[in-house]
Amino acid sequence: MTAEHCVIIGNGPAANSAASTLRQRAPGTRITMIGRERLHYYRPHLLPDFIAGKVSEEELYVAAPPFQQQCELKLRLGQSVVATDFRKREVVLDHKEIVPFDGLIIATGGRPRIPEPYQVFEGLMHTLKTPADAKRWIEKLDSVDSVLIVGGDLTSFRVVNALLALEKQVSFILSEDSFWPVPFGEEVCTQASARLKEKGVEVIECRRIKRIARISEDLLEVETDRKTLNVGILGAFFGLVPDVKFLAGSGLDIERGILVDEHLKTRFDRVYAAGDCAQVFHPGMRDYWVSIGYHNARTLGRIAASNLLGGMFAVDVAPESIFQMDGVAANTSWWMEF
Amino acid sequence: MKTPAIVLAERVLKIKESRAFDIRSSVMPTWCPGCGYFGINQGLNACIQQLELPHHEVVIVSGIGCAGRYPFFTHTYGLHTVHGRTLPAATGVKLANPNLTVYAVGGDGDGLAIGGGHLPHVCRRDVNINYLLFDNSVYGLTKGQPSPSSPLGTKTKASPAGTIDRPLNATLLALTYGASFVARLFAGDPKGITAALVEGTKHPGFAIFHIYTTCVTFDKVFKTWANLKKWVHPLPEDHDPTDRRQAFDQVLEDDFSLGIIYKRPY
Amino acid sequence: MPVVDVTVEVCGMAGDGTIAAGGLINEAMSQIGFSVLGFDSYPAEIRGFGRCVTHSRIGAGEIHSPGERTHVLISLDDEQSKSRVPFLAENAAVFFDSNPPAYIRENKSLVAEVEPSVLLYGMPFRDLATDVSGSARGRNLTALGGFCAVCGAAPEVFRRVIAEKFEAKGDKVLKVNLKCFDAGFRYAAKNFSDRMLKTFAVPMKADGPAKVMMSGNEAIGKAALDANLRLYFGYPITPATPIMEFLAAHLPLRGGRVVQMEDEIASLAAVLGSFHVGSRAMTATSGPGFALMTELITHGVMAEVPAVILDVQRGGPSTGLPTKTEQSDLHAAVFGGPGDSCRIVIAPTSVAECFRYTVRSFQLAEKYQIPVIVLTDFYLGNRVENLPIPEATEDEKADGNLYPDASAKDAYKRYLLTDSGISPRALPGMEGFIFAATGLEHTESGAPNYGPDIHTAMTEKRHRKIQRALADLPAPVEFPGPAGRDVGVIGWGSTFGSILDAVNQARARGRNVGALKITSIFPFHALEIREFMGRCDEVLIPELNYEGQLANLIGHLHRKDVVRLNRVTGIPFPPSAILSKIEDLVAER
Repeated sequence: MTAEHCVIIGNGPAANSAASTLRQRAPGTRITMIGRERLHYYRPHLLPDFIAGKVSEEELYVAAPPFQQQCELKLRLGQSVVATDFRKREVVLDHKEIVPFDGLIIATGGRPRIPEPYQVFEGLMHTLKTPADAKRWIEKLDSVDSVLIVGGDLTSFRVVNALLALEKQVSFILSEDSFWPVPFGEEVCTQASARLKEKGVEVIECRRIKRIARISEDLLEVETDRKTLNVGILGAFFGLVPDVKFLAGSGLDIERGILVDEHLKTRFDRVYAAGDCAQVFHPGMRDYWVSIGYHNARTLGRIAASNLLGGMFAVDVAPESIFQMDGVAANTSWWMEF
Repeated sequence: MKTPAIVLAERVLKIKESRAFDIRSSVMPTWCPGCGYFGINQGLNACIQQLELPHHEVVIVSGIGCAGRYPFFTHTYGLHTVHGRTLPAATGVKLANPNLTVYAVGGDGDGLAIGGGHLPHVCRRDVNINYLLFDNSVYGLTKGQPSPSSPLGTKTKASPAGTIDRPLNATLLALTYGASFVARLFAGDPKGITAALVEGTKHPGFAIFHIYTTCVTFDKVFKTWANLKKWVHPLPEDHDPTDRRQAFDQVLEDDFSLGIIYKRPY
Repeated sequence: MPVVDVTVEVCGMAGDGTIAAGGLINEAMSQIGFSVLGFDSYPAEIRGFGRCVTHSRIGAGEIHSPGERTHVLISLDDEQSKSRVPFLAENAAVFFDSNPPAYIRENKSLVAEVEPSVLLYGMPFRDLATDVSGSARGRNLTALGGFCAVCGAAPEVFRRVIAEKFEAKGDKVLKVNLKCFDAGFRYAAKNFSDRMLKTFAVPMKADGPAKVMMSGNEAIGKAALDANLRLYFGYPITPATPIMEFLAAHLPLRGGRVVQMEDEIASLAAVLGSFHVGSRAMTATSGPGFALMTELITHGVMAEVPAVILDVQRGGPSTGLPTKTEQSDLHAAVFGGPGDSCRIVIAPTSVAECFRYTVRSFQLAEKYQIPVIVLTDFYLGNRVENLPIPEATEDEKADGNLYPDASAKDAYKRYLLTDSGISPRALPGMEGFIFAATGLEHTESGAPNYGPDIHTAMTEKRHRKIQRALADLPAPVEFPGPAGRDVGVIGWGSTFGSILDAVNQARARGRNVGALKITSIFPFHALEIREFMGRCDEVLIPELNYEGQLANLIGHLHRKDVVRLNRVTGIPFPPSAILSKIEDLVAER
């Protein structure tokens, strides 16, 4: 079954993987990708390497225009979906344009999560999701020597490596909340902590941050319940929150992300979700899990697109792990909802 | 005792001194002997003399036809333009220099056929030019074709079976187009022409003089001298030229009444 | 510092204030000190709806042709603006209403149409205008405000220009309009602070003489006024009507008169009548009207009566394409009409030349006692350029008539055979010089005469006179300067601007090309043209007509066939097409 107009919301790894799958398997399909940011498709997992200077800006991006041209798809950047109507099978964009679709894949990914206790400090914290974020890190790192990382998600460990390569002084507050939606197990926590210390990172064990004050443009004073320290940059790495606010009230089942079955299909016909924004049903566990990371996103995108075209591929319940931090391997796929 | 030669010489001298014929140019008219245009010429010349218009302040504008040659025979400035465009050319002359007295002359072909589209507008515009329409109901210069005022059934080389178009009535047209001074005249009465021309020239708007005339060479049946002399007669004594409705009635009833048919009171 | 060369379009439906917005951009940019060339398109029908597009090319240097690619599109009606998307340059900026009154489906959406590289600036024009003024009518000014902020154009100049434009409408309207502009400016400055383009933020000095925006038609109108035109006779016809209307507003204030005649024939007849008695008159028309004037033009030639005729060319033949530009009346202007009836034909290439040559045309007509035809076209007539207010010099305005000497009185010969071919001309009203001008062949005194010797002598006289005029007519001008060329490009009329741009671009790439501008179409400067061609290998003549009418006229002067490049697309000749042909010719050598 070939859909006439397939719309993909998102421009990240899952979205682009879905797009290229659709193009290969259904050459006649009209494909539209809608990305909220004015950004061409980039590899988010390379951002820490970009900060470290090991990867150039050009290498960050997947050769955008030729790729898109090869796919013969309509790329709409800087435009966002504000509403959806699954009965009429239409999405509405922020400038009041109605785009009808025959097939829809939602691959909006997630945005950096700042948990409740830290939200008050949001303005002072650096996250890392986009090349622009990375550039802000690079610019700031030019004039500071010390960094405090709070959290502990996948990206945070890679950023630590990058900072160490740049010979910066790194402190780390491991938060058990950070590998959301799954709590850090005690064992992984200890191992990670040890490994960090081995590398020369100061691991601060505390329960919370009490106060942050800006001393100067390049210096922050951070007071925790254990100690107080001065740092140049405060980085927050608490994982991602699925970017699905615009789907509120649309009729889709949403918890933190979009709930889909093992074929990545939502409750609506020919509407799929893939990547960081989805929570996938595991028939064995009879519950939903989240698949995160670049390679998983690409896989899910491929599966969603194939199924949209009539396939019945199920998500492999044991997809590859991508996180390896010298000796401490964390399987990134099998996580139950908290 | 004066010899006939001396009498003649004295007379010529007198004429020369009176300057009566100064209005004539040195070019002899090319019209056929007996042509009605001679009478019209006489009438207009006398008008210019009577009004004492300086000859260099008079411009005669003509089109194409036997009447086209007119400016060459009069000692005034002239503009011999193309067929049918006499009226707009005269308009340009008068608007450019209102001090000049402008006479436009043309035949019924020049004025009612090719030039017919200009007549309504020159009437509307009411520019102070004086238009003499020489109506002999034939195209003489091109040797005898019917004209817009030829009667139904006119037989010519161009219409061997007789014309099937009905004739236009120039006076009626002028009235309909709202001309502010309309006179109907006869080439055989130069004095009458002069009288009307004098009044029309003084009239501050557009004046049209519809003049019946003959073509002795190509029309032997309709507008002959004999016929015209028989048909024409003056307007009724009680004709009120300021009454437009009366003018229409007059012209609808009577094709050959002569005089000033309509003159708009300003 | 990159040189500014930016094309801005405003597109909307009739009634959206599109044309007003475009006009404000032109005026403001001109006052800031940029060169501006604007060429708008209007709906063809009168119905009151239909697409309007204003097109303004704005540059730091001289500008000779409209932009082929658009860098900024301001959309006041998205459905209409879709038609402009194919012309967008890469990374073009598009301003549009982000909160339209109704939802727009994808197939009607402007945003859906653009390439991903296009920078989108969605602003709620209507809402912003309504917030500050109670109605959405001023949304075109709101859009301008946004454009101004993002593109870095000095807002105080825009505000001044808005004040100038609307002061006649009263204080209240003016205040409202300024508020709408400001609302747009503020919104953009706040919401697009991370995406400012600063396109026009280069220091421009508005020194030198004050410049005005003027269209070709307006320049012609002003030229006629300056040359002391007394009478205008004309008939409405697209695209010449604006000349009549301009003069109808201004000429009576100078004691002259505009008379709308019943047709073009009457118009030219009246012009000839007027010149016959020494009063300057003029008529302006386009192809179909010009055709009607043919007989009277030949009359002017034979009777040696001056006339000034403007032919604002449009798509032909016949009724043709009234709202499209073309250069296809050259044949008609030079050769139209029976008999050996050559007359003077001049073709300006810019708004400044429209002024210059129209002023001079009266003097030329009087001096050479002949109709002078000035050929412009729809594009040149309607396009606006900014230039210092043109003024006519005393020399240019001076009476060109040659009057007879008092000694010729009472024995005056109007058509005296002279060496120059010019016979002293008396004017009706002058005592002692009675004559009749005539369209028949005539003797020296003006009496009709068809003799073989007379006709030969008079025909030679009239042609001799015309050849003399060469000395008084603008000679061809070479760009950049005399040199041997691989390709020489010759052009006339509004196409020359495109040629100049193309030649400059080719030269920047190292090609040995040059251009020759011809403004005197007849008589033409054969010597100078042949000399130029002699230094060129290939000669290329681009024209907006099918056959190559200028090529037909002067092609024989080249030692081999000239290369013709012809278009009848109804729009100004794109420089890229000429450049492409130049490259082909260079490659073939």
